[in-house]
Amino acid sequence: MVSKESCRNEIRAAIRQLSDRCLYSAAKWAGEQLVGIEQDSSNFTPSNTRFQRGSSSIRRRFSTNESISTPQPSVGFSQPPATPLPQEDEVIDGDLYLLAKSYFDCREYRRASHVLRDQMSKKSVFLRCYALYLAGEKRKEEEMVGLEGPLGKSDAINRELVSLERELSALKRTGAIDSFGLYLYGVVLKEKGNESLARASLVESVNSYPWNWSAWSELQSLCTSIEILNSLNLNNHWMKEFFLGSAYQELRMHSESLAKYEYLQGIFSFSNYIQAQTAKAQYSLREFDQVEIMFEDLLRNDPYRVEDMDLYSNVLYAKEACAALSYLAHKVFLTDKYRPESCCIVGNYYSLKGQHEKAVMYFRRALKLNKKYLSAWTLMGHEYVEMKNTSAAIDAYRRAVDVNPCDYRAWYGLGQAYEMMGMPFYALHYFRKSIFFLPNDSRLWIAMAKCYQSEQLHMLEEAIKCYKRAVNCGDTEGIALNQLAKLHQKLGRNEEAAFYFEKDLERMDAEGLEGPNMFEALVFLATHLKTNKKFDEAEVYCTRLLDYSGPEKEKAKSLLRGIRMAQTGFPSMDMEHFPL
Amino acid sequence: MAGLTRTAGAFAVTPHKISVCILLQLYAPSAQMSLPFPFSSISQHNRLGLYLLSLTKSCDDIFEPKLENLINQLREVGEDMDAWLTDHLTNRFSSLTSPDDLLNFFNDMRGILGSLDSVAAQDDQIILDPNSNLGMFVRRCILAFNLLSFEGVCHLFTSIEVYCREAHSSSAQYDASNDNLGSLIQHDQMDMEKYIMDKATEEIELQKNASGRVPFHLHTPEALFKVTEGLLVTRKEKSRTNTKKAEATQLACASSSTVNDTLVDESLFLRTNYQIQGFLMEQADAIETHGSSLSSSSIESFLQKLQNLAPELHRVHFLRYLNKLHSDDYFAALENLLRYFDYSAGTEGFDLVLPSTGCSMYGRYEIALLCLGMMHFRFGHPNLALEVLTEAVRVSQQHSNDTCLAYTLAAMSNLLSEMGIASTTSVLGSSYSPVTSTASLLSVQQRVYILLKESLRRADTLKLRRLVASNHLAMAKFELMHVQRPLLSFGPKASVRHKTCPVSVCKEIRLGAHLLSDFSAESSTMTIDGSLSSVWLKDLQKPWGQPVFSQESGSRKSSTFFQFCDHLVSIPGSVSQIIGASYLLRATSWELYGSAPMARMNTLVYATLFGDSSSSSDAELAYLKLIQHLALYKGYKDAFAALKIAEEKFLTVSKSKILLLKLQLLHEHALHRGNLKLAQRMCNELGGLASTTMGVDMELKVEASLREARTLLAAKQYSQAANVAHSLFCTCHKFNLQIEKASVLLLLAEIHKKSGNAVLGLPYALASISFCQSFNLDLLKASATLTLAELWLGLGSNHAKRALDLLHGAFPMILGHGGLELRARAYIFEANCYLSDPSFSVSTDSDTVLDSLRQASDELQALEYHELAAEAFYLMAMVYDKLGRLEEREEAATLFKKHITALENPQDEEPNMA
Repeated sequence: MVSKESCRNEIRAAIRQLSDRCLYSAAKWAGEQLVGIEQDSSNFTPSNTRFQRGSSSIRRRFSTNESISTPQPSVGFSQPPATPLPQEDEVIDGDLYLLAKSYFDCREYRRASHVLRDQMSKKSVFLRCYALYLAGEKRKEEEMVGLEGPLGKSDAINRELVSLERELSALKRTGAIDSFGLYLYGVVLKEKGNESLARASLVESVNSYPWNWSAWSELQSLCTSIEILNSLNLNNHWMKEFFLGSAYQELRMHSESLAKYEYLQGIFSFSNYIQAQTAKAQYSLREFDQVEIMFEDLLRNDPYRVEDMDLYSNVLYAKEACAALSYLAHKVFLTDKYRPESCCIVGNYYSLKGQHEKAVMYFRRALKLNKKYLSAWTLMGHEYVEMKNTSAAIDAYRRAVDVNPCDYRAWYGLGQAYEMMGMPFYALHYFRKSIFFLPNDSRLWIAMAKCYQSEQLHMLEEAIKCYKRAVNCGDTEGIALNQLAKLHQKLGRNEEAAFYFEKDLERMDAEGLEGPNMFEALVFLATHLKTNKKFDEAEVYCTRLLDYSGPEKEKAKSLLRGIRMAQTGFPSMDMEHFPL
Repeated sequence: MAGLTRTAGAFAVTPHKISVCILLQLYAPSAQMSLPFPFSSISQHNRLGLYLLSLTKSCDDIFEPKLENLINQLREVGEDMDAWLTDHLTNRFSSLTSPDDLLNFFNDMRGILGSLDSVAAQDDQIILDPNSNLGMFVRRCILAFNLLSFEGVCHLFTSIEVYCREAHSSSAQYDASNDNLGSLIQHDQMDMEKYIMDKATEEIELQKNASGRVPFHLHTPEALFKVTEGLLVTRKEKSRTNTKKAEATQLACASSSTVNDTLVDESLFLRTNYQIQGFLMEQADAIETHGSSLSSSSIESFLQKLQNLAPELHRVHFLRYLNKLHSDDYFAALENLLRYFDYSAGTEGFDLVLPSTGCSMYGRYEIALLCLGMMHFRFGHPNLALEVLTEAVRVSQQHSNDTCLAYTLAAMSNLLSEMGIASTTSVLGSSYSPVTSTASLLSVQQRVYILLKESLRRADTLKLRRLVASNHLAMAKFELMHVQRPLLSFGPKASVRHKTCPVSVCKEIRLGAHLLSDFSAESSTMTIDGSLSSVWLKDLQKPWGQPVFSQESGSRKSSTFFQFCDHLVSIPGSVSQIIGASYLLRATSWELYGSAPMARMNTLVYATLFGDSSSSSDAELAYLKLIQHLALYKGYKDAFAALKIAEEKFLTVSKSKILLLKLQLLHEHALHRGNLKLAQRMCNELGGLASTTMGVDMELKVEASLREARTLLAAKQYSQAANVAHSLFCTCHKFNLQIEKASVLLLLAEIHKKSGNAVLGLPYALASISFCQSFNLDLLKASATLTLAELWLGLGSNHAKRALDLLHGAFPMILGHGGLELRARAYIFEANCYLSDPSFSVSTDSDTVLDSLRQASDELQALEYHELAAEAFYLMAMVYDKLGRLEEREEAATLFKKHITALENPQDEEPNMA
């Protein structure tokens, strides 16, 4: 375990260096982690304690191991004995560098790079290239808005990429490149579509300078499969744990990722970032209550946070908490109206209120701000489904799937939309896809079974198979058992039907439910047992039926009468034959 | 989102259009002169005018020539003033130094247009009428320029710089070589010309394919025709001997390379939706026509580029689907098909052709189902395909899309007739359509018939001419293969004739071919300007490119001639494909009915006239037919030579039937030469080609077991052969393969004859004859009659007279249309009959016998059929012996011995083809 003090020193130095090179978002991230480290009790300052008091409440409620401050004995890998501190830069920057940095801070990128045109120090070279890159990006964005072609064509490209690649690769060949330069080289290569080279460059960068979170997240976006992730040759450093945590999450390995974050919480006990990431993982595991509490806590500490709040809104949506959702929407809108997350939250709110047109409008706005915003596409698809505009829904879902082919919700949505249009056979393909990505969700299996069961297809055997899978996945809504029983009944397999009705009955008893399903089960079981001459058991079910009113009661009565007749009738007939 | 960004037919200013404008300024300067400065004669002036006209007409083409190409063309047009023209052009471009110059340039352009009321103009004044083609072009350019934002103007400006820079760099190279070596110039120029010509012809081909537009959802019918045609002509083969193969590959790489070039550096220019759609249609046709001989990866790479450039252009996914379909990549094909329809709801591309019909708000997912069904069909999943098509029927009815319904029914009938579906129950599941639900009570053929009729009726009312035509062809095929029976089998049965009706086959084929006349009557409405526009340019170039033409080989010329005619009358590729298919079907039907010359003639017609426009699998079939004909009538040597040529051409085609033909020929050859081991091996390989799925590749399976039985027969394992033949007959019965039944029965008769069990053979032979009668298989009937006669003779020499009568009855057919083997057999048998007839005396009538035997031996030697040849020589020797002509007897005897030894040691001369 790394000592908190050394972590703190590393990060402090790193923040200075990162912001000196204008890598602001990495500096921001590092800053968040810095204050996330638990303070030693010896040097409490009033401001620190105030900050920490809020966060600790949740930890008491939820963290299972109370020994946060004690070092954990084994974490599965060995840390290098001491991480080298980031080397301090030469204290005096050139005058030109200072000027360029101020230009950069004023977002005058081209000017900044022009000022540094003849500077040869590594730092200056990096800033010049970085400024050039950003200038190209800015120009690209502007062109994209101005020149959108008839087919959504955006031939706007970052025109600096080619020259940047040439220069950086030359620098790399001569070895006159530092880890920041390698990071930029990796970004440029990624933009040019050369993924493997980009990965290599980024790995080199993070191995020599691990504190640049931007480099890690670029690297993470290039790890699209676990094989790629495992093939990376990364030095051990505590930053690697952060990286792995987020990479695992992206690869849907939620429990692994949770383990990583739990370990990191030993050092960064108060990091909002870790808390948010944990909440994300829990959300994927559908622990909504817990997630809600975590987000509440997060907002208390960091009331103007917009990141990840769309997830919170999803939780509120699922719990149908209208008021809380509107409060959240209002809050993020006051903070920053033009963030895709804010638009998405408002969209969720309107959707919950049943105003689907408005919801679509806000999702659209979110997508205008970020074309690759996955959840907005999917949610928009849901809205279109609600509005019965199936082809628009299909289009939206398909875009979501093309952004990320692992999005099971969108695949499911596609299947649903096609089923709505009366094309169950076509829909099956999509359900299969969605099940492929999430094989343990009973809802998906039930949807597929319904598809097979539809009157157009009427493939009952397949439907039965699907319902069985749903039962094995722990069907929470109890549809599958009932359907299984009914299907077997329909196919004349009374033994199987009785088996499933009994199971269903057990489930309903356990959950304390009543309803038509229960009557149905009871009636079937009673009749079935009666015909099989198991009168005692049949009687038990009949008497249960007698507790309810309605036609079932009458049915039970007549059944009971029949049972009595059958039980006593036969001997009584004999009696008549032998009149005394 | 899909529909939001579509602006069809937009017109964008590009550097090339500015070049044209500059030239137009030269052609009609605003100064009032009768003949502007550089032109020395009116004809020269007119020539430039014509050239400009063709340029403006082709401005909707996806390929815009680079400045370099334009200058080269100008050299040809401009004759002595070419230098002046190009100088002016480049100077004008270099004078555009800032965006402001562009603004001024377009202001000047306005000056060359005459005013709308220019009636008062003097005669010798050159005025660009604003309503003329050229005038319209100028006006469109000006308008498009005025609509540009400042940002857009800046873009245009930078792209002009690139445009000029490219030309400059290449012309610098050109100049350098000019200085260095005189001879090299010539060489260069020739190359250049050749390049232009290649490109021209290649584009003509593309155009020709592209003109095959269909007024329905554009690609569906194409795909459908593909399937239909593949099916229509299943039992035939033959050959065509020109340089088509080389041409095709050249075309493939040339087109893909140009595509790459243009797409890369044209990425600067905005293309209109219209242009890109047109281009994609051309590419789709190219994929379908050339099948997998086009390299799939090169198409993939340009599709990738296109997608990067135009992410909202969903047609790209469809092309990718087609490409994957033809390279047999099931998963990728499925994925892309679904993606295409998810994005566009099947409406993209459709609006180009029939904007008036309007699409329902539900999209056109029934088309997705139709395509999916045909995809499953192609990949050999008949049951899946049937499910999907049933759903397609249901959805089309639900959305009342009759067009799609007609196509779906046609596809379904195809599927049913092609896939062997044994049981009539439970295939269609629970179907809702009245069409299919009534059908579930009927036999498969009746269902096919009903589906076809329904489809035909709908297609007729909807005026889907291509579908009508291909349905007629399918109907012809159906009539060819099936005996018509009344659907309701009660009531007086007097009128029932258990016979196929050749007249109605002929009628259907003719009706199918009517498409051509229908089409030429309405051609004006069916063609689309864009596709033919660049043909104008090529036409104009043709006379000047004459020397290049003469370099081409003779055979090539004929095909270019047809191409030329083709685009003059502008018959779309798909139309000529269907007409071509009708010829192939004609050939097949003649083959079945037993007229070899007619079959051969029709195949030849197909190969000459339609070979270029046909899909590769159709062309392959034609080759197969011709090669088979060669094998039957000319012997193996010629056939193998032709096969070599065909193999080179078609080996890249997926599911190549050439391999099948090769195995068949080798098997036949091995059987005749008595090399049974080889024959058995070929037979097994043939069986291995078929898919293991029930009901798929029925034809291949039947063929394989037929050959197995024959091999066993040749090995004298009679009971096994009879077993195989029996089970084959059962299979044929189960899957309703009536025509195959006739030949299996004949084979059974043959087996019994060889095993010396003539009495058992008789009923089989008679049954075969009656099958042949009811299906009008005249040639097969003749051959069955021959077998029958042989069986009679086998019963004893007292039946010789009767056998001879039978034989003479069949003789005209056998001699007129039969292959070498059949004729030889007939001759030998005739001699046999005479010899065994007690009333026949050899000494008086020896010539009758000897003539037949001589004929037979000649033909058998061509076939290398040792067994029969030996028999012929044996008989000959006997006759000579009787006649006392000893010398000739010895000669015949040695030949007899030669054949016998060859038969006994078949291994010593392995055919080199194996």
